[in-house]
Amino acid sequence: MNAMIEQFVQTLAAGLTAGSLYGLTCVGLAMIFGIMRVINFAQGDFMMVGMYLAVWIAARLGGVHVFGAAAPFIAAILVAPVLFMAGSLLHRLLISRTTGLRAVGLSGEGHQAQLILTLGVALILQNGALILMGSSPVSIVSKLSSRAWEIPLLIDEDSTLFLNQARTISALVSIGVAFLLFRLIRQTGIGKSLRAAADNPEAATYVGIDVTRAHRIAFGLGAAIAGVAGALMVLSTPAQPFVGTDFIIIMYAGVVLGGIGSITGAFWGGMVIGVVQQLSTLVLPLQLQNAMVFLVFVLILLFRPQGLFGRTVERA
Amino acid sequence: MSITRRNLTKLAAASTVVASSSARAQQPAEVVFGLISPLSGPWAKSGDLSRKGAEMAVADINKAGGIKALGGAKVRLAVGDCGDSPEKSKNAAQRLLADEPNLVGGAGAYVSSFTLAVTEVTERAGVPWFTLSYSDAITSRGFHYVYQTSPTADAQAKAALPTLLALAKAATGRDAKKLGIVMDNTASPVSFTKGLRAGGAEALGMQIVVDETFTPPLSDAGPVMQRVRAARPDVLLLLPTAVPDIKLTLEKMNEIGLGHGKLPAINNGGPMGSPDLLRVVGPDMLEGVMFITATWGLKGMEALTEEFRRRTGEPWITQDSLSNYAHMWILKAAVEAAGSTDREKVNAAIKVMDDPEIAKFFPGGRVKFDEQGHRVGASLVIAQWQNGVPVTVFPIDRAVAQPIWPGR
Repeated sequence: MNAMIEQFVQTLAAGLTAGSLYGLTCVGLAMIFGIMRVINFAQGDFMMVGMYLAVWIAARLGGVHVFGAAAPFIAAILVAPVLFMAGSLLHRLLISRTTGLRAVGLSGEGHQAQLILTLGVALILQNGALILMGSSPVSIVSKLSSRAWEIPLLIDEDSTLFLNQARTISALVSIGVAFLLFRLIRQTGIGKSLRAAADNPEAATYVGIDVTRAHRIAFGLGAAIAGVAGALMVLSTPAQPFVGTDFIIIMYAGVVLGGIGSITGAFWGGMVIGVVQQLSTLVLPLQLQNAMVFLVFVLILLFRPQGLFGRTVERA
Repeated sequence: MSITRRNLTKLAAASTVVASSSARAQQPAEVVFGLISPLSGPWAKSGDLSRKGAEMAVADINKAGGIKALGGAKVRLAVGDCGDSPEKSKNAAQRLLADEPNLVGGAGAYVSSFTLAVTEVTERAGVPWFTLSYSDAITSRGFHYVYQTSPTADAQAKAALPTLLALAKAATGRDAKKLGIVMDNTASPVSFTKGLRAGGAEALGMQIVVDETFTPPLSDAGPVMQRVRAARPDVLLLLPTAVPDIKLTLEKMNEIGLGHGKLPAINNGGPMGSPDLLRVVGPDMLEGVMFITATWGLKGMEALTEEFRRRTGEPWITQDSLSNYAHMWILKAAVEAAGSTDREKVNAAIKVMDDPEIAKFFPGGRVKFDEQGHRVGASLVIAQWQNGVPVTVFPIDRAVAQPIWPGR
């Protein structure tokens, strides 16, 4: 019985840490989808770029002893402005041509063009990484990845909860970044303009909001968050050019699960996926871990088609 | 001259002499050997290591005077990239044959499913082909031009566990009784462990106390390794095939106090000894981890290993490099024996070959092939990560280090 309790607590902890990171990736996607209504196929590849950038930055910070074990997390934060600028530039040069007010005249409100464009960006990023970085996986080798905080469970002498230090810190940073983003959207002028642009771009224009700029900020923020999430993941998942494809389905599942258009919902959608993915191993063979995620996904959509948070709670 | 039987006989004799002297005069300036290897995609590093081994062999052959039976003709290596799929592998083989009509023989293509595709093409063209791939299917199709220098997956599975148990006993003085299995559900681990579950482990006096199979990629190794910790096996067959999963499982083992050889973990396949893995995982994680492979840096080939390091910059010689180094030398020996670049003659020479010198590149057996194309007596190597380097610990007569088996 004690062994079962230990296994449950350990699995739940693994689900919460994985879920926090999934949640952050989903928030990045929801920023772009919720505000701009753009289905961004390149989101997983922004994550991949974040991973490579973090490895590069951490290698340079690693030489400076003052940063020590914190180097990977500082690198993750430094990835954000780089990807924000890259995302904004990408929006200015390409994405803006198929979105916002420019999309009014396009067939299907520009959605087909957006799909093809973001798919093209994804392919360019993947193959560009293959040319520049090669196919060998790279990672940040940190002692934190193989160290745990051991918390006695007090049910017997042996039972211990192992909290992997790298994953736990990554999860806390993810929650922190997601929280800051929520504050930005709810309590700042930029957030207000983002919400207005999301709710009704035309009406927002009438009241003097620069919708294109709002979209540019949203796209930059979405890319930056994906980059930070990737940078936090690279401690446990090595970077390789096609790593983004492993996560893109989870991102979309999280966004739909949380409620399309809801950024808070996207975070909780990712969290649910992480927890279900891990807890399912207690009752089902390990091989069905991901199948269980999509079973829960289907069940939630069956009984609550608008997702966990829907549009009624929050829109952007 | 009237056409009589006598005149025809004279003409035939004369033309034979002319053809013979013409053949001597037209001995090939170069002899083309082929290599098909994954030089792009997820297996690119292994493909690159294969290429480096084959290139070094060709350079050594040419430095030693080329093919002496053909007047010192030099060998040229033609390389094809089989990418990341059987389809691309088949195309690479077709392209290589089209570009190199004088191809004498070749080697490749690392991943078993790629080798199966490549050899469908080379067999039809009658090109003798060598491979280090493990799949039993490669040499069970009744082909006549395909040769497998590694022990097959089935043979490895049968030989591995008794070997490991013997190694454990030699190192610790006691028998290992409890076996753990953690693997992904890809073809190689599935075939490797099939026999163990079907009574193989029991027959060796071992009980499987934990048996976990996952679909890659693994999102968190915690729950899996926690079960290993609870079951406390004496030996763990740790068989993930993807680098991210290897990293996660090893990190978790260290985290819960089972790393550094405390719980002996054994993988099968050369990728576990890849220099790339060291870069991603770090030496601490890998310390004590063992893997089974067809050949590795063996005692008696220190000079070759050192030369390989010097020429390629790689930190050590791997199975990929070493096997393909040997494959080129086998092809060279066959061309020498045949005295010709004719594929049929070269293939006939391979079929009767029994070369003790080239056999030294492998841990056991001979460079002699049975009717199906298996290398006779092919056996396995067990290597172990010690101080950031994977070193051979079995077979004992070719080992370069003692195994670490500290127990718990």
